[in-house]
Amino acid sequence: MKILTKITIGFATATLLLVGCNETAKVKPQEKTQVKPIIDESHLGYRGTTDLLKEDVVPPKVEYHSAAPGTSKKFKRAYQDAPPMIPHDTTGMLPITQDNNQCLMCHMPDMAPSMGATPIPVSHFTNFRPHTAVKGDEILKNGKVITNTSSEIQAHVSIKVDKDEKHLYAGRFNCTQCHAPQATNMLVDQNSFRPVYTDPNGATKSSWDQSKWMKNIDTEK
Amino acid sequence: MSLSRREFLKSSAAASAAAAIGMSVPAELEAAATKAEKSWRWDKAACRFCGTGCGIMLATTGDGKDRKIVAVKGDPAAPVNRGLNCIKGYFNAKIMYGADRLTQPLLRVNDKGEFDKKGKFAPISWKRAYDEMEKNIRKALKEKGPEGVAVFASGQYTIMEGYAAQKMMKGGFRSNAIDPNARHCMASAVVGFYQTFGIDEPSGCYDDIELTDTIVTWGSNMAEMHPILWSRVTDRKLSDPERVKVVNIQTYTHRTCDLGDFNIIFRPNTDLALWNYLAREIVYNHPESIDWDFIKKNIIFAAGPVNIGYGFRRAGEKSLTPVRADGSAGKYDAKEMEIYNKEMSKVVSELEGPALEPYGYKAGDTMKNIPGTLAHHEISFEDYKKSLAPYTLEYTAKLCKGDPEESLDSFKKKLQDLAALYIEKDRKVVSFWTMGMNQHTRGTWDNTLSYNVHFMLNKQARPGSGAFSLTGQPSACGTAREVGTFAHRLPADMMVKNPKHRAITEKGWHIPAGTLNPVGNQHIMKIHRDIEDGVVKFAWVNVCNAYQDSANAKHWIKAAREMDNFIVTSDGYPGISAMVSDLILPSAMIYEKWGAYGNAERRSQHWRQQVLPVGDAMSDTWQWVELSKRFTVDDLWGPYTLRNGKKLADVREKAYAMGYKPDTTMYEILFANERAKKNYPLALDQFPQKGYDNSECLGDARNVVGSDGKVFKGYGFMIHQYLWEEYASFGRGHGHDLADFVTYHKVRGLKWPVVNGKETAWRFNVKFDPYAAKHAKENGRGSEFAFYGPLAKALPFGNLTTVTDKKKKPLTDKAKIFARPYMDPPEMPDENYDLWLCTGRVLEHWHSGTMTMRVPELYRAVPEALVYMNPETAKERGLKDNDLCWVESRRGRVRARVETRGRNRPPKPLVFVPWFDERVFINKVTLDQTCPMSKQTDFKKCAVKIYKA
Repeated sequence: MKILTKITIGFATATLLLVGCNETAKVKPQEKTQVKPIIDESHLGYRGTTDLLKEDVVPPKVEYHSAAPGTSKKFKRAYQDAPPMIPHDTTGMLPITQDNNQCLMCHMPDMAPSMGATPIPVSHFTNFRPHTAVKGDEILKNGKVITNTSSEIQAHVSIKVDKDEKHLYAGRFNCTQCHAPQATNMLVDQNSFRPVYTDPNGATKSSWDQSKWMKNIDTEK
Repeated sequence: MSLSRREFLKSSAAASAAAAIGMSVPAELEAAATKAEKSWRWDKAACRFCGTGCGIMLATTGDGKDRKIVAVKGDPAAPVNRGLNCIKGYFNAKIMYGADRLTQPLLRVNDKGEFDKKGKFAPISWKRAYDEMEKNIRKALKEKGPEGVAVFASGQYTIMEGYAAQKMMKGGFRSNAIDPNARHCMASAVVGFYQTFGIDEPSGCYDDIELTDTIVTWGSNMAEMHPILWSRVTDRKLSDPERVKVVNIQTYTHRTCDLGDFNIIFRPNTDLALWNYLAREIVYNHPESIDWDFIKKNIIFAAGPVNIGYGFRRAGEKSLTPVRADGSAGKYDAKEMEIYNKEMSKVVSELEGPALEPYGYKAGDTMKNIPGTLAHHEISFEDYKKSLAPYTLEYTAKLCKGDPEESLDSFKKKLQDLAALYIEKDRKVVSFWTMGMNQHTRGTWDNTLSYNVHFMLNKQARPGSGAFSLTGQPSACGTAREVGTFAHRLPADMMVKNPKHRAITEKGWHIPAGTLNPVGNQHIMKIHRDIEDGVVKFAWVNVCNAYQDSANAKHWIKAAREMDNFIVTSDGYPGISAMVSDLILPSAMIYEKWGAYGNAERRSQHWRQQVLPVGDAMSDTWQWVELSKRFTVDDLWGPYTLRNGKKLADVREKAYAMGYKPDTTMYEILFANERAKKNYPLALDQFPQKGYDNSECLGDARNVVGSDGKVFKGYGFMIHQYLWEEYASFGRGHGHDLADFVTYHKVRGLKWPVVNGKETAWRFNVKFDPYAAKHAKENGRGSEFAFYGPLAKALPFGNLTTVTDKKKKPLTDKAKIFARPYMDPPEMPDENYDLWLCTGRVLEHWHSGTMTMRVPELYRAVPEALVYMNPETAKERGLKDNDLCWVESRRGRVRARVETRGRNRPPKPLVFVPWFDERVFINKVTLDQTCPMSKQTDFKKCAVKIYKA
């Protein structure tokens, strides 16, 4: 009996998951007589229990990739120009403070090749924020009086690039705001997002430069 | 060259696979991969997550049902974030594609297919789902009236969804039992705004970050919770490190502290004393820093009662009866009652004694609590000064120091340095806070105390200076507050209890005078409690996870599962609320619908539907509009008696006089009415509709079988635009002006009020706010400011303990400085429960994790909720990193793993456990204490013990 229930539940869950991925497998709207209680609430979500009030969930152990910097296998980027995740152990490298950002030691473009690190791309040396000032009752952006902060089209966007790639745009100083170490834990669920890399090295390399970045931002079409 | 879809997929797959393993790619295929981008459509949108409100650019590709998101980039033209997103922002790309998206309605049934509360779930049709909802709503209305039908609403509703829900609930069902999760998130900020300014509005904007010299965070881990604003702070700080100072005032060390020039770690709840210390420094030791000209023109002083309780249930409520000899009461055991009893009365402690002396209490006194009140009265400056007397450096330092390892002298020096920064003439200062000050048993007080300091120094509502509440959710400001999706509110700052406001709303909605219910007291915790008391019989969870996000969760889950009621959850993924529910509805997610959010700096941002929803999922707007088809004038607009005895009139005759018939549906009145169809026709060949899907208005290629059992073909008019424009009509000309629908599709958001096409950067400042200019001209005081909010703008007069002159005196265009003391929270560590527990978020996960736990990169970044603790705390309990431990309070316990070297580094007496993980269900442990004025839950402190599991 118990096994049978498990099979039914397994089957029902499989059907349910299929529905999410594949339109053609959709269960047709059912008449009352066909409505069958097939999905146990423990199969909803990832908690895996029927009784929410019970204390029977033991969360799995968390283990992060432990390879030392420079020796680790890089993760594929999630999509073209997505921020790469950190493939190496970060013990002792964090936190990032005002005077100590250890990420930069290996990842600045002049150091990265010799360290086997992913170099910080030009996007991180690019600042799109205009200088803001207030004079009397006027708001100035890059010295120009503006009516609204959002009246910009592509042609008006401020771009400042450090072409020598020596000075990181300080807004990008907090590396961990976009890049995170990854645990080896089994996923609670798969994800059907599929990247389309438009650059041959898209899975491993940023292709952003300001011209590519600015492309298509005029959306009033 | 045109590439067939099959070739295209083949070529991109080959290119990515080859790149990943370092092979060289044949040149011809490479070219094809680059061309693939030509088929991409980029469009602007707002990020799904926090209150920052970043702009993103989304790329989609594919035809019809197959169109999918393929990339996200930071929008360089978006003024909030200028091309940069945080990790969650970038992974907006993946949030809709988790394998267990809900795609069909699911109902609990028995073997015969009949609804059965104890049954398992079965996939059903939309029609069956609406049949069940209709039946149960009718039953609830019949048994309990409008108070029996409730909605757990959201600060993540799009503005149109929130407005549609509010219209059907308040206008249709005549129920005010709709309250958002935003109640848990910024209600204290709101009451603080109302009390101080008379209007629910922040003064400043994000440009303050680039314009200021000093950033002080109070109870806010901006680096993780508002990462892009923090990147702006970081840029400002590192660009001028000598001049710009960053100070963080927190209960534990976290990533935000890593940038701090210095950090103040304080004992939970004592931020009340810190603000008062700063005010005392100004008033007693640096009176020359007070801008008396500003104060005289713009400010009055005020006070109110202090014995207001902690927002718990009160003795005599149904679930607290009978009281038993063992100390238990009703559904609550003796341990829980130890804390709950303080709602009725408490003994003043040694810690709070000195702070309460000016208010007539001393340590050891019994304070009888009277439930929270918003009432307050004017006092003299001398009385305000008296209220500050206790907060000497000595008392404040002893009370507030939160890290036992730190010396008192070091702590004192930091307090003095902090005061010096605020007071320094010509130094601009911004105070930012988030949940630390809002989720607080005295959250409203804490908020008002912040303005005191800024006001006295004339450092409020000026470019680069001001106290600013950072909202947590993407549309807490836009949908929850401006739309008024709260139990007590109506659109554009109007209130259900105000007869004039009800009349304006009834007129705007074309519903009979007297339809709207004047009693709006079912805030979100009250809805849970009303379910437990058997009053609410039907509850619908919208765009939130009410059963995971509410404190003391065991009670509410038990009530939902074991009592006679019907709980519905609409969601993209099944979370704890779905598991608790009787019916689950699949919702279209963010970029599967048209929408708009309003962020923390009053910026409204719109986006278009980018892709079709998955399966049979439909938007929450659609779900509300479909529900409205099931109820008619005669169904809903007869007479009712509320539980307090108040009568709601029978308005059916008035409805007939307006031309409605007994069987006219709410759909025809509230949504598909003549003015909607006439004024907002589809314009498929014009911007912004041209080329974009619109599942609600047109139906779509999926041919979803709708709530009537027929294929849904669309409403046939532009319902999003109609809902936007009708909502906006309430605020225009009243300080809440919004631009028209189409304009927002052309710009990267505008900060309301938008007057004559111009946004407002600094509220209340005559130079920047046309309403302030108008008011200042009218009142003729020659001030640079006008604090023109209309609420509570006439007050009686008194002192710190009582009202002495009941006659109300007007205070037109003035703001208020409140005398408010430090008080203990109701539960503090003791010998049995010896640690503080603080809950909150982490950067990589959003709220209850329903979306972000489905994104592989975010999941792996933080796969579960850990117990962050001090290494010594762990050692004392025989625990090391990754060990399992129990975290136990008077209400429940959970198992979690220990982390002592992580991003959060608490002092010895405190542990932090985030709440995103449904396996580490920390809200079974937390306490449902609220600010008694704002009803916002305090998730930041309760007492626990920790031991090895």
